Amino acid sequence: MSTVIPRSDFARDILHVYAVITWASVGIALVVFVALGWILVRFRDRPGAPLPAQTRGHTLLELAWTVAPALVLLVIAIPTIQVIFRTQAVPSPQALEVTVLARQWWWEFRYPALGIGTANELHLPVGRPVVLKLEGPDVIHSFWVPQLGGKRDVVPGRLNRLTFTAETPGEYWGQCAEFCGASHANMGLRVVVDAPEAFARWVSAQRATPAEPAGLAAEGKALYARSACVGCHTIRGVSAGVLGPDLTTFGSRGTLAAGMFPNTVENVAAWLRNPPALKPGVKMPALGLTDAQARALATYLVSLK
Amino acid sequence: MRAWLTTVDHKRVGILYGVTAFVFLLVGGIEALLIRLQLAGPGQRVVSAETYNALFTMHGTTMVFLAIMPLNAMFFNYMVPLMLGARDVAFPRLNALSYWIFLFGGLFLNASFLVGAPPDVGWFGYANLTTKQFTPGASVDFWLLSLQILGVSSMIAAINFIVTIVNMRAPGMTLMRMPVFVWMTLVVQFLIVLAFPPITVGLIFLMFDRFFGTRFYDVTAGADLHLWQHLFWIFGHPEVYILILPAFGIVSEVLPTFARKPLFGAPVVIYSGVLIGFFGFGVWSHHMFAAGMGPVADAAFSIGTMLIAIPTGVKIFNWLATLWGGTIRTTTALHFAAGLVGLFTIGGLSGVMHASPPVDLQQTDSYFVVAHLHYVLIGGSLFGLFAGAYYWWPKMTGRLLDERLGKVHFWVLAVGFNLAFFPQHYLGAIGMPRRIYTYADGAGWTFWNFVSTVGAFGIALGVLLFMVNAWRSLRAGAPAPADPWDGRTLEWRTSSPPPPHDFDTIPPVLGRDSFWREKYGRGRGAGGAGASGGPSAGAPRVPDDHIHLPAPSSWPLLTAAGLGILAIGALTHLAVVAVGALVTVVCMFKFALEHHRTAAHEHQVGNLGVDHRKVALWVFLGSECFFFGTLIATYLAYKGRSVVGPEPHQILNIPLTTLSTFDLLMSSLLMVLALAAVQRGDRLQARLWLFGTALFGLIFLGFQVYEFTHFVLEGLTLQQNLFGSTFFVLTGFHGGHVTVGVVWLLSLWVLDLRGKLGVADAVKVEVAGLYWHFVDVVWIAIFTLIYLIP
Repeated sequence: MSTVIPRSDFARDILHVYAVITWASVGIALVVFVALGWILVRFRDRPGAPLPAQTRGHTLLELAWTVAPALVLLVIAIPTIQVIFRTQAVPSPQALEVTVLARQWWWEFRYPALGIGTANELHLPVGRPVVLKLEGPDVIHSFWVPQLGGKRDVVPGRLNRLTFTAETPGEYWGQCAEFCGASHANMGLRVVVDAPEAFARWVSAQRATPAEPAGLAAEGKALYARSACVGCHTIRGVSAGVLGPDLTTFGSRGTLAAGMFPNTVENVAAWLRNPPALKPGVKMPALGLTDAQARALATYLVSLK
Repeated sequence: MRAWLTTVDHKRVGILYGVTAFVFLLVGGIEALLIRLQLAGPGQRVVSAETYNALFTMHGTTMVFLAIMPLNAMFFNYMVPLMLGARDVAFPRLNALSYWIFLFGGLFLNASFLVGAPPDVGWFGYANLTTKQFTPGASVDFWLLSLQILGVSSMIAAINFIVTIVNMRAPGMTLMRMPVFVWMTLVVQFLIVLAFPPITVGLIFLMFDRFFGTRFYDVTAGADLHLWQHLFWIFGHPEVYILILPAFGIVSEVLPTFARKPLFGAPVVIYSGVLIGFFGFGVWSHHMFAAGMGPVADAAFSIGTMLIAIPTGVKIFNWLATLWGGTIRTTTALHFAAGLVGLFTIGGLSGVMHASPPVDLQQTDSYFVVAHLHYVLIGGSLFGLFAGAYYWWPKMTGRLLDERLGKVHFWVLAVGFNLAFFPQHYLGAIGMPRRIYTYADGAGWTFWNFVSTVGAFGIALGVLLFMVNAWRSLRAGAPAPADPWDGRTLEWRTSSPPPPHDFDTIPPVLGRDSFWREKYGRGRGAGGAGASGGPSAGAPRVPDDHIHLPAPSSWPLLTAAGLGILAIGALTHLAVVAVGALVTVVCMFKFALEHHRTAAHEHQVGNLGVDHRKVALWVFLGSECFFFGTLIATYLAYKGRSVVGPEPHQILNIPLTTLSTFDLLMSSLLMVLALAAVQRGDRLQARLWLFGTALFGLIFLGFQVYEFTHFVLEGLTLQQNLFGSTFFVLTGFHGGHVTVGVVWLLSLWVLDLRGKLGVADAVKVEVAGLYWHFVDVVWIAIFTLIYLIP
């Protein structure tokens, strides 16, 4: 999640300004520290020293150390203003639009033009401008994937926007960056930037209805269909709940519970047995599953690619 | 013991502030250590998520409101009158009242732990997380009630200090001859007076949403959640200058003293402080760069924030120039002051980084900004406070602190602090968000979090060393002379500690650094007056039997207790609220009448040629402008955003309100007549017009009651829509102000009936009149903006 290893135009623009300010700051800090240190040594009290000259001030010096910092600030301000307007410009009409709904404590992503939706893992095509439309159904959150750019708050009642073009395929981590309650620390997200073909494949997979499972996974699906799960979750062809994340392609995600754990059968089973114990305040309750039931369900969910 | 409960002596009130605030500093410090223990490694379970969220909320709230602000107040209280050559503050009993309200507010906030509902929404409490829908328990109620109480304490104290500084300076002490610490204090008080009203209003909105169902932060009703953020930060940004300027003032006293030469560019340091205070009101939205305000607002606030860096930098350079060419005695106080110069530079530079929105979009809400704020608050405010502690300890206690232990304290604190917080810049840069109770092992944040925790314990050790030093000094420290440091300002001219009346005779003021001039003349070298100890040493004490010492009073403590009961009632039962209100009101009357007709209290005219009480009221009216301005601005911002009706044009009765407006305007005329009558001793007319003004006020209130009732019957309630919420709160608070005015006028009327309102009391009627006219003027603004303009 480094802010200094940019992977988008937005992040690179920021880093450029960051570098200018950092060098200016280091320079000023050096001047102040060296001066302070030297002065404290050079003008130390010695026994018998007379009273020093009671100098009151010096107008030219005051002007100098007012104007000099102002000039440094000008050097910082110019790229700052340029980048502000460049990164908040009207997005290109070719931009891929993604609606981001930030909820306590997970992320929903909808692609209106593509007719698909998923949760907690955002796939984006490399090299194509993206517009994230940030909506908040509950409290204020903040979308932050440092390598792809700065953060933007998700404010209920307002339509905030984040625009950038990802430049390198890869996986990037993000996390909610506005305190939003008990599990604010557990609201991570994963962004997968795909080459165009890989992105197209992913989109198709999102549209497809999952194949019929076999074995333990089939047991899991049967259990799913008759449990409380269906009230909150969507699995295409099986259930249509909207209170929790869409699980249609759950198995294709690298993590679960908004970036908390790697997506393995063991971790999913542990989660299913007692979500509130793992994620404080989570709205998904413990459903009283036996170990066997949890395993079956987990096997089913992980099979959903 | 009883003496401390009823004291009104500024020195004792200062010590009360200091001891209480130091205890809260330790409480906040323990909260910090628990935070750092939890974060020392990934996935720890030292505390639960819920507890952690309460810990960082309470740590921030405690350190800002219960530690740094009152520690600053300790020095304001103790030193400002001495530095001015005054014998106390303008209103000694109000001073004590401020302290007791602060104490009860702090206890109330921490009582939340005892009932298992500590505030857990961040010290900045963003709506709508703080609404009842998302945080239903009592935690937010504790938080908002405490802040309101603490706000009252700060406001009263601020008015007190402004009047003291502008109106109680010794003869010859022009404003530009005042020590820089006093100047910084003055700027801080103005910041408090003007910055607290907006957050008071924001908290009122939150309280009304939670207690009465209004819609101020209800998105479904059309509310804009940026409203809270703007109101909070319009307060919050000046607040950081409230926290740091006193430390800047202390450094501006300590460096010259130990370099043995004047503050370089003193007028520039003063003007830059005033500029910082002024511009500090124009940069608040740099806390909102990620909130989506749009590029124009981002750019404007960015430029403003960068501009503020200039006067701050100017101070750093002037301090360096003060030391340059001096003869520097490296006492502990000087260590801390020099430490501030270095550490605040780092904090200020990271602040400049935050001033650039693109960069800030990576840094805000990450550990980078946590590093920044601790560099300016610990490296700045706390180091400044320790400098002041070592500097003024002899004056306040009559004993010296151990210098060797002091330097160990400094180095332990400096090393511990940098170890704790410098790595946090890096943690923020590699993406660690703030306000998270844990993190994953694979994030790469583990090592530097561990280092930071070690540093935090270093800070704790440093503070502990100070406590040891203080304890040993109080028990058996070397006695301190009046002027242990060969000081420059007037506090060194009296004994250590000073006598109850501060100065045997009011000192002469020869210029800036007046005491130094007395000792050494204007130029370098001894001017014949002798450098040994100063003129007051050795001179016989001649008590001046014309000195009026303010008498102790129990009303400050009791009035504060009433407020405390009120707050408890808000969380328990309406009956308790009633009891608390009754106690508060009764005590306020007793307080106000305690010295009515005491000869020594009649004449209170100061440097400005104006009575203290009039100056105080004008300052208060300034805060009221911001209070009503905020309410009106919110009404206008929410205009047209209501999702359901009724709407203004459907329900406001312009003709009727024109009548009531006319009535209120006429009441001002009657007030003028009442004052004229009191001033010329015409008791009949005084009674007639005082009653008349109150009566017209009551008529206005009658109109308002009719209007409110009619509206409710028509379907416009507080809860109905944004119009209902904003309209009733705005006009309701105005009506509340009218009610207070009516009670005030009727009280004066009753006093007159009893023959206790004479010509000498005219200033009290004048002050009431000023308040009354102001309430009128506010109504004109409300009538125009809400009723007349469609």
